[in-house]
Order: sequence, then C-alpha cells, then structure tokens
Amino acid sequence: MIAYFIRRLLLVIPTFIGITIMVFAITRFVPGGPIERIIADARQMQSMDQQGGAGDSVAGAGQPLSEEQIDRLRHYYGFDKPILESYFSWLAKVLKGDLGRSTRYYDPVWEMIRERIPISLYFGVLTMVIVYGVCIPLGIAKAVRHKSGFDNISSIIIFTGYAIPGWVAGVMLLVVFASWVDLFPLGGIVSDGFEDLSFIEKAVDLFRHTLLPLLSYVLGSFTVMTLLMKNTLMDNLASDYVRTAIAKGLSFKKAVFRHALQNSLIPIATHFGNNVSIILTGSFLIEKVFNINGMGLLGYESVVDRDYPVVMGILVISSLLFMLGNILSDLCVALVDPRVRFK
Amino acid sequence: MTSSLTKKKWQRFVSIRRGFVSFVLLMAMIFISLFAEVFINSRALLVSHGGRLYFPTYGEMIPGSRLGLDYDYETDYRELQKKFRAEEGGDWVLMPLVPFNAYENDLKEGTYPPFPPSLGDRHFLGTDNVGRDILARLVYGFRTAMGFSVILLVLNYSIGISLGCAMGYFGGRFDLFVQRILEVWSNIPFLYVVIIVSSVVVPSFMILVCIMAFFGWIQMTWVMRTMTYREKEREYVLAARSLGASHARIIFKHIIPNTVSVIVTYAPFAISGGIVALTSLDYLGFGLPAPTPSWGELLQQGWTNMGAWWISASVVAALVITLMIVTFTGEGIREALDPKMHTIYE
Repeated sequence: MIAYFIRRLLLVIPTFIGITIMVFAITRFVPGGPIERIIADARQMQSMDQQGGAGDSVAGAGQPLSEEQIDRLRHYYGFDKPILESYFSWLAKVLKGDLGRSTRYYDPVWEMIRERIPISLYFGVLTMVIVYGVCIPLGIAKAVRHKSGFDNISSIIIFTGYAIPGWVAGVMLLVVFASWVDLFPLGGIVSDGFEDLSFIEKAVDLFRHTLLPLLSYVLGSFTVMTLLMKNTLMDNLASDYVRTAIAKGLSFKKAVFRHALQNSLIPIATHFGNNVSIILTGSFLIEKVFNINGMGLLGYESVVDRDYPVVMGILVISSLLFMLGNILSDLCVALVDPRVRFK
Repeated sequence: MTSSLTKKKWQRFVSIRRGFVSFVLLMAMIFISLFAEVFINSRALLVSHGGRLYFPTYGEMIPGSRLGLDYDYETDYRELQKKFRAEEGGDWVLMPLVPFNAYENDLKEGTYPPFPPSLGDRHFLGTDNVGRDILARLVYGFRTAMGFSVILLVLNYSIGISLGCAMGYFGGRFDLFVQRILEVWSNIPFLYVVIIVSSVVVPSFMILVCIMAFFGWIQMTWVMRTMTYREKEREYVLAARSLGASHARIIFKHIIPNTVSVIVTYAPFAISGGIVALTSLDYLGFGLPAPTPSWGELLQQGWTNMGAWWISASVVAALVITLMIVTFTGEGIREALDPKMHTIYE
C-alpha cells in the first residue's frame, strides 16, 4: 500500500512537467505577449508626444523601439533562448520557490497569489461546510423516504439547481436582490470604509457580501453530493447485511445508522480529495460575476492580460493541488474501506 | 436493434412521466427552432401584390421594386404592410408572429434602447441594449446552441469511444501511456487556449466547436475505458474469442452494443454541458463573433445593464427551462436504461 502511494507521488513529477511544458510552449507562440505590449505602449506614447509637440514632425508610425532595445527586452523576459532552455531555467527557479514577477504589475507572483488565497479559501471552506452539512442529512432523508412526496419534490428542486450553472444563478440573484430590491451589495467582498466599522458592523457587512456568491457556489456541488449520498445509501439498504440485520429484529433506524450509513460514506470520501483544488482555486466565473478578487479571477485576468509568469504560477499551484487531491481521495478510500487494496 | 429488450426499455422510458414529457418538449423546441424563420422573421410569410402571391420566407430576397416600391434593396415588409393598409387596394401582407429578425435594430425616435416588453410593438420580451428583439435572439440563439452541442457531442463521442475502447481493450503500456496524456490534457487551462485562438483568428462556429472538442473528449474516454475494462472480462467476450472472433469483431459486435446504454445516458448531460460552455464563453466575450445571436451575450448585457430586468430575466428563464428539460430527459433515460430495484422496508 505504501509502495502504491509512493509510486503515485512519483508519477506526479512527469505529469507536472508535461502540463507545465505544454502551457509554457503555448505562451511562446501567442502574439500579444509582454514585448508586443511594451512596443504598443511606446508607440502610443510616441504619437502622443507628436501631437503635443511640433505638428509638422515626421509621422513615424513605424517601430518606436530600436532593435537593440527589443533584444534587451527579449533577454529580460528570457525570450531569446530556445523554449526548452528557458523552460528548464524557469523550472529551476520554481523548485527554489521563486515563481518570478508579473510582467504587468511587476509584483512577485507568489505574493499576488498569496494575497488572493484567503478569499478563495473563505468561500471554499464555507461552501464545503454547507454542502456536507446539508447534503448528507438530506441524502439520508431522501433514501429512507424513497418515492414519497418529500423525495419527489426535493428531487425536482435539486435537479433544477443542477440544471442552472452557479454563475448564471449569480447573475439572476444580483439582478433581483441587488438591483431590483436593494438588499445586497452588487459585488466585492467588503464595502468601502470597512476598516472604520465596529466588529458587529463588520460581521454584518461581510455577511451581506458573502451570501449571494456563497449561494451560487453551493448550487454547483449540492445536487451531486445529495444524490450520491442517496443512491449509495439505497444500494446499501438493499444489500444482504442490512436485510440480515432487519431480519434478526433490529429496528430500521438502527439498521440505517449503525450499519448502512457508515458504508455509504465511502463514495463521499472519494470526493473529498477533489475539494482541495476547488477550495483554493475557486470559480472564476462566479468571482467575475460578483467581482470577488480571488484566485479564480486572478487566473482569468492573467490569461486575458497574457501575464505569463502569473499564468504559470497559478498553473503550478492548481495542477499540483489537483494531482495531490486525487491521491488524497484514494487515501481517504483506503482509510475508510478496509476492503480496498491498492497494488 | 428493435429487439424486445429495446422495446421494453422504451416503454419504461415512456412510463417515467417527468422524463418523457421533458423529452417531448425538447423535441418540440428543437423542431420549432429549426423552422424559426416561419415564426420570427422580418420577412413576411405571404405577400399578395397585384394578383400574385409571394412567399419571401425562404429563398432569394425580393427587391422592393418588384412589390411596387421605389428601391432595389430588400423589401421592408413591415413598412409594406403599413403602406398596403393605407392604400386599401386589395394587396396585403401576412407577417410572422414576431416580425423582427435577430439582427436588426428596431430604434425609436427620441428614446434609447433597451425597450421593455410591449405587445403593441410586437417585442414580446422587449429589446436588448441596441434595440434587437430579445425573443428573436433567444430562439435563434437556442438553435445555435443546440447545433453547437450536438456537433460537439458527435465529435467528443467519436474520439472518446474509439480511444476509450482501445485503452480498455488493449490495456497494458498503451493504457498507462494514454492515461498520462489524459492527465496532462485535462490540466491545460481550457480558457487559455480559447483566448489564444481568438486572439489569432476570429473564432467561427466550426473553429469554436473544434476547440471545445479538443478538450471535451476526455470524460467520454475515461467512461468508455472503464466500461470496456469491465465488459472485457465477461464470459461472453471469452466465448467470442474462443470462437475465433477478431479484435474488431469483439469490439464492434460485442463490447460496444453492451455499453450503448451508458453512452446514451451520458448524451443529454453532454448536451446541457455544451450549452453551458458556449453560454459561458459568449458571456466572457470569447465565443461566437459579435452579431451572432447568443444567450451568453444576452446574459452579459443583462449583467451590465441590471436596470433592464427583462433582458436577464428572459435569458435566465430560457436557460433554466432548457437545461431543466434536458436534465430531466437525461434522468429519465438513465432510469429507464439502468433500473435499480431497491429493497424498501416497510
């Protein structure tokens, strides 16, 4: 078993290299990188100078920077070396814990990411608490009362929730509760002047900013969890050991809670590892709709702005989390289910 | 394929009310949207002019000069209708229910769009920020999204099924190698590639489908791999092999027919996934090029212009209804193909 997990951990390395090298190579072939942007900025400045200065100067719409300057920029961003060489120098820096600097804001990438982590973590943890806190009891109730009125009605509601993507619900919630009825703020995580509020006011303000995005987040994973809980519990209720337990005179309640429930939590455990990456990276669509400065929005903006070091930095973190999360899931399964043997 | 087993499955599907009703509604919506030109169009259904009948809906555009107007570009049938009514000369124009197409800006003097819903103007759901009819854009956008999802589904399934089958059937090194590729592939930020491509070329419909398919085949490959793995170990495959069946025969005649229920079960969810993906991309502005009617673009308008509640209300309602119908259909199919008989304790 230990050998299996060590092998899995070792397999992370080639996969990680594969992922980063692919994206790194893509960043090289895309127009609109930092050098093009600097040239465009310089051209704009030049034309503004011309407008401000003598009107009869030669309209030089050509290259604003000299070859030498561009070469120096290429060198600065490491574009002068072949892909593999600059990839490995980037990788060496990452291994030393240096993710580089943003080409747009010139801040260290790690600091930019570190600033955003608490926000995504805040929503991620709250979502997870609510989803597990509600879905497990709801799934149990639905399984026990299968095909009852309660089960059918809650199924319809759950499937409706499943059909709507979280961010679309977010847009609707904003239109209804922030624009039409002015109950909640339009976005952001805290109001202006948050620092000056008293503790209770701070809590209220945070709550008002949290509720709508949180609802959108919860909506996404709610259905899957509830149905997973319901279906596995029903499978277990139909199995022989529960029938034996009931046949020997155990009450139905005891059969569910003492026997079936524990075994039904296994598939929920397999999902647990995936939470790691979801909690930390968030959903950029929801963050964009509600204008929350989390990891998701940072990733989205860095891609749109072609801020390669930030893109790569986020990729490093998210892909590592994704792969470790998968291994963690397997570990959870092995812990709760003694029948599972990984070889 | 019309064995008694298939018939039984179909009957079971029909008996699941919620799923079957949704399925019928979905088919009706697709059918109506295929003939959307008849219901929602700026061209008239029927024009009677000088004793002759014209059917402008499909086919070549009819220049205004042929219908007694003084211009050679396409006839403005709404104006023509007003003119004929004023003349009372026996000529008439029959307009569709919604006399606007999805592209034209219906502007009014003195005010600025968006205009709220109005029965008198025939804008049943109002207009968007530049004065285009929302209902028209919703229906044509539905058609685009459905077409998009179906083509995407076919592409994803053909790649996923063939590769997944091969992985599961042949196993070994090949399986392990493709697994690593899949892991790498699923980690490439999808949005990144879309933005890159759209910065190089304006993504047309087909280009967008190809980009999406580029990333979409992974799930089906995993599913088919697992299914093939399971089926491969069954006795009937062993029997087929000992009878001397070739690999191709075992895969196509034995394994795939036995996994078809899983393939079908995933289809509606793949469709709703396709619709959501296209809507998200259009919302972010990286989807289909600008004037194409699309739900995501309408959502974006509703989000920026929250005062115009009818924009976001209609598009969210349309999206929710469509996705619900697709999801319920999918649930129905799943239940019909994979009935789980549960023990219920009284």
